[in-house]
Amino acid sequence: MAGNMRQYAFFLGCIAPNRYPGCESAAIKTSAKVGLELLPLKGAGCCPAPGAFGSIDLHVWYALAARNIVLAEQMNMDITLICNGCYKSIWEVNHILKHNDELRDGVNEVLKEVDMEFKGSIDVWHLAELYYDPKICGVEKIASTVTRPLTGTKIAVHYGCHLMKPGKERHFGDTENPMWIEELVEALGAEAVQYRNKMQCCGAGGGVRGYDITHALDITNEKLINLQEVGADALTEVCPFCQLQYDRGQVEIEEKFGQKYGLPVLHYNELLGLAQGMSPDELALDLHGVDCKPFLEKIL
Amino acid sequence: MAEAKEQPRIGVFICHCGTNIAGSLSIEEVKEYAMTLPGVVAAEEYQYMCSTPGQSLIADAIAEHKLNGVVVAACSPRLHEPTFRTATQEGGLNKFRFEMANIRDQNSWVHMHDWEGATSKAKDQVRIAVAKARLLEDLEPKSVPVEHAALVLGAGVGGMQAALDLASAGIKTYLVDKDPTVGGRMSQLDKTFPTLDCSQCILTPKMVDVGRHPNIELRTFTEVENVEGYIGNFTITLRKKARGVLSPAEAEERGIVGGGCNGCGDCSEVCPVIKPNPFELGMAPRKAIYIYHPQVNPLLYTIDFDSCVKCGLCVTACGEEKKAIDLDMVDTFEQVKVGTCILAIGYDLIPIEEKTEWGYKRYDNVITGLEFERLICASGPTGGKLIRPSDGQIPKKIGFVLCAGSRDNTGGVAKPYCSRFCCMYSLKHAHQIMEKIPGAVPYIFYMDIRSFGKMYEEFYYRIQNEGAKFIRGRVANILEDPSSKNLTVFTEDTLLGRPLSLEMDMVVLAAAIQPKPEAERIRQMFGVSKSQDGWLLEAHPKLNPCGTTTAGIYLAGVCQGPKDIPDTVAQAEGAASAASIPIHTGEVQLEPYFAQCVDELCAGCGMCVNLCPYGALALVEKNGRTVMEVTEAKCKGCGTCGGFCPGGAIKMQHFTSPQICAQIDAFLLEGGEQ
Amino acid sequence: MATDKNYGNPELENKLRDRYYYTTDSNPEFLEDVKTLSRTIAHMCFQCGTCTGSCPSAPRSSYRIRLFMRRGVLGLEQEALNDPDLWLCTTCYSCTDRCPRDIAPTDVIMAMRNLAFKYDIVPRNFLKTVQLIYNTGHGVPNNDVNRAARVKLGLTADPPTTHGYPEFIPGIQKIMDHYEMKDNADRILAEGGQ
Repeated sequence: MAGNMRQYAFFLGCIAPNRYPGCESAAIKTSAKVGLELLPLKGAGCCPAPGAFGSIDLHVWYALAARNIVLAEQMNMDITLICNGCYKSIWEVNHILKHNDELRDGVNEVLKEVDMEFKGSIDVWHLAELYYDPKICGVEKIASTVTRPLTGTKIAVHYGCHLMKPGKERHFGDTENPMWIEELVEALGAEAVQYRNKMQCCGAGGGVRGYDITHALDITNEKLINLQEVGADALTEVCPFCQLQYDRGQVEIEEKFGQKYGLPVLHYNELLGLAQGMSPDELALDLHGVDCKPFLEKIL
Repeated sequence: MAEAKEQPRIGVFICHCGTNIAGSLSIEEVKEYAMTLPGVVAAEEYQYMCSTPGQSLIADAIAEHKLNGVVVAACSPRLHEPTFRTATQEGGLNKFRFEMANIRDQNSWVHMHDWEGATSKAKDQVRIAVAKARLLEDLEPKSVPVEHAALVLGAGVGGMQAALDLASAGIKTYLVDKDPTVGGRMSQLDKTFPTLDCSQCILTPKMVDVGRHPNIELRTFTEVENVEGYIGNFTITLRKKARGVLSPAEAEERGIVGGGCNGCGDCSEVCPVIKPNPFELGMAPRKAIYIYHPQVNPLLYTIDFDSCVKCGLCVTACGEEKKAIDLDMVDTFEQVKVGTCILAIGYDLIPIEEKTEWGYKRYDNVITGLEFERLICASGPTGGKLIRPSDGQIPKKIGFVLCAGSRDNTGGVAKPYCSRFCCMYSLKHAHQIMEKIPGAVPYIFYMDIRSFGKMYEEFYYRIQNEGAKFIRGRVANILEDPSSKNLTVFTEDTLLGRPLSLEMDMVVLAAAIQPKPEAERIRQMFGVSKSQDGWLLEAHPKLNPCGTTTAGIYLAGVCQGPKDIPDTVAQAEGAASAASIPIHTGEVQLEPYFAQCVDELCAGCGMCVNLCPYGALALVEKNGRTVMEVTEAKCKGCGTCGGFCPGGAIKMQHFTSPQICAQIDAFLLEGGEQ
Repeated sequence: MATDKNYGNPELENKLRDRYYYTTDSNPEFLEDVKTLSRTIAHMCFQCGTCTGSCPSAPRSSYRIRLFMRRGVLGLEQEALNDPDLWLCTTCYSCTDRCPRDIAPTDVIMAMRNLAFKYDIVPRNFLKTVQLIYNTGHGVPNNDVNRAARVKLGLTADPPTTHGYPEFIPGIQKIMDHYEMKDNADRILAEGGQ
């Protein structure tokens, strides 16, 4: 353990460890290069899924998210995570319970049954915001770790919804045309391309992917058309659930709608891993639904 | 006081105010309670105490019960103190023998659903008022002469109208504007609704008149630096900003006979510095030596010293005869004495680019309503040809986004209020494009069309009949096609219940309006409050809409709240009328709430002199001792000196220490031993 | 109260059924429940349409979030909760970011879904997520292909979550049992659900 490493409890969620383990692995390795040490949050579960689970009973959502937060409180460490859905559950419940005594007391009533108490003693961060924050890391520091610049590639950014919205409760500024993840992408030597309706949802959230898959995919398809128009070599995001919707979603779109895009979809941590010299095997890119080869050929 | 103390004989008069008070507390109980208070010899209740019979009730009771103090428990003194003072006077008492208990605004209205609590609080309020009434003294208001001159700040249509009215009523009027010309916002508009008069055509006669009127002293490119004094006797320091150009009169003062600026424009022609013209909202260039537009008044060029490189080319071009240009000119100051002032300082658009969903400043072809005015105006940067900023093409499908930042509770730059003229000017814009561009179709995205004025609804009918498309839905967001620069507007047609995605060539945002940034400094100098929404606060929203809480200061136009041209002009005439009353009366009565120095107690320490925010106190020699003396006309009765005086030598008339202590005792001791 | 048409012909009675809105159609508690659960000022909607205009689901379905806001304001509980469109919100929060009345329509939808669940109105996929979390701690659990990939990456076959530490699962179950969530999900699924 390096002495001046900042330590965070790493909340994994479900999709990263159980579908795209390369995201988990990349997060741990890439963050270590900028002075962040991610420690396992033992016994954490589902955040739980804000749409699929929160839709049924918000009070259980508060309680189960609080259980995850308490695990980090017991480590006396801030949480970092790499999924927008997890961010909504963990960041937002932490925020709500810190500011709403009534809900907090209600949650603690229940947590008492499992010998836990929400204290409100830690903060929650998306790893991408830690990367962007000049006090923690910053774009320049990210750029300084790049050994294999992604020069010559055009990369589009999907911000997703639950990291920055609702904008008023969050702290990311403008939600209509943000550019900070583009800055992180350009730090890797790639060209960040703009496309129509960048801030539109991937279509998967709110339980819609499970409830009506063609509806969800039709939203995804609209975005894929816009992405194809600007000739993006890859799409990057900071949410494994959005990644699933774009990546596995392209396979499903081909099946159901007969349309094919072949647009590689990489989590920003995977992209950063590549730029820092990690091999496609170290990122388990073969688990992706869309073949990443056309993109990899441009940089390897 | 040496004189024998008279026995208090107080009458208490409780008003029902219809059900405003009587519906929330027991008048009968309060009346019975009042009769138990020491000094109270009569208690009456009446449905509307402010009515003629109600006032007679008070006057009659004074005579019948030989009252020497009157307490009315009713509404706010702001509303009816003058009424009841008159009634007190009519009953034969000094009018300051009156005290008011506000059991409506401060009680029944706030405790509407707590009968017991409100009744009990009303008893407290009456007891406190009676405690003061027992100690009231006869006071005489002080009369001061009024300066026979007025000042109007802001020379837009409102300010010009107010100045013309005052001047025509025989009052010398200083008309001051920070810009180099009179005219204000209205001079930037092309046509006006619903009559479709050309804005400049109806405004320029006024612009000329204010320049010509013998009673108007025009002060353009001038700001207010300092305000001192009170109603009737304001001393206002004006900063005449360095214009760099001499008027013929100023030239003559310098001995340049027949010289000074004649508006020929030779200077501007040779000036090498090019800057955006703020009058054209930056859509046209101007030189460092400039006029806003050809109809400016006064027709004098002005140098923007922030961008002037002092190359001297203009000086040469101007020539030896006129010698109008002085590159070393500095700001000068002037003090004027006036009796009353009118603020008519106008408004700005909000920085609508901060409502990022509509893409202003990010998308070329999204413009504001004010920019549309300049683009459609024959004297504007395109000669009245409406073109797309992106490519100079003539737009055919134009979207008008109403309530762009108005009626919006999200904070930031958004405003919760209705900006009141955007519906109507957008209808006018729709008419103008249909008139000027064959085949053009306006799409008006609205929540409600507020066409409330005279002939406004008829104008709405007319524009719909001309072919404008009205879509009842607030615009969610706009996307730009990066190659064509066309805009897609997203909303729901809420009447159809369908989302819309409409491609437009141009979008005009009816951006909300807000007070000018300098309004804050100006209102503090003039002692004017602001309302919750940031606009300058009138004395009463219905009954004194032109006055302010500072006597002698009046408001006109949008600076008091959003309004269109007819309303602005109407308010300006109202303000001019109100501002002329004290001047024509020749004197004003000041409330006798002055500080008084009790010479025997004064140690002459002088600490109060420095504390006084109004410069009303001074140390003088009296009978061989140094004591403080109050200039009553300057004193506002704020009590700073009285509260501080270590010797208790300063008496605040009508708010004496015994009176205030009696009120506090009455409250804390709940009517018990005092 | 709506007039009953006793025409003895169900088809005709349905065709000609009374469409008037009566105040008796409203359940005022519905609006209050929505406001409490959503923690937003749902009663302040003035129907401007910004929400639907922002909605990615609206242009491809009959889902109109503005309509749900209206039903909330009027207390049209059954009309709101029985409309299958209720489940088409992707919770993207675009409407919430743009609403000029500073309401969070997204959270109104979430509240209505919570209230629908109380009437056993809930799509099956939501209940399956409940069961998965109850049994494994994860809404999307691990599988063998993934375990192999994890090992190849040098990670543990199961992540250090409830998968790696199953002793934490009973804690999750206890919390869910407190709200009888699993029992309700099982029961609704067994009864055939939606």
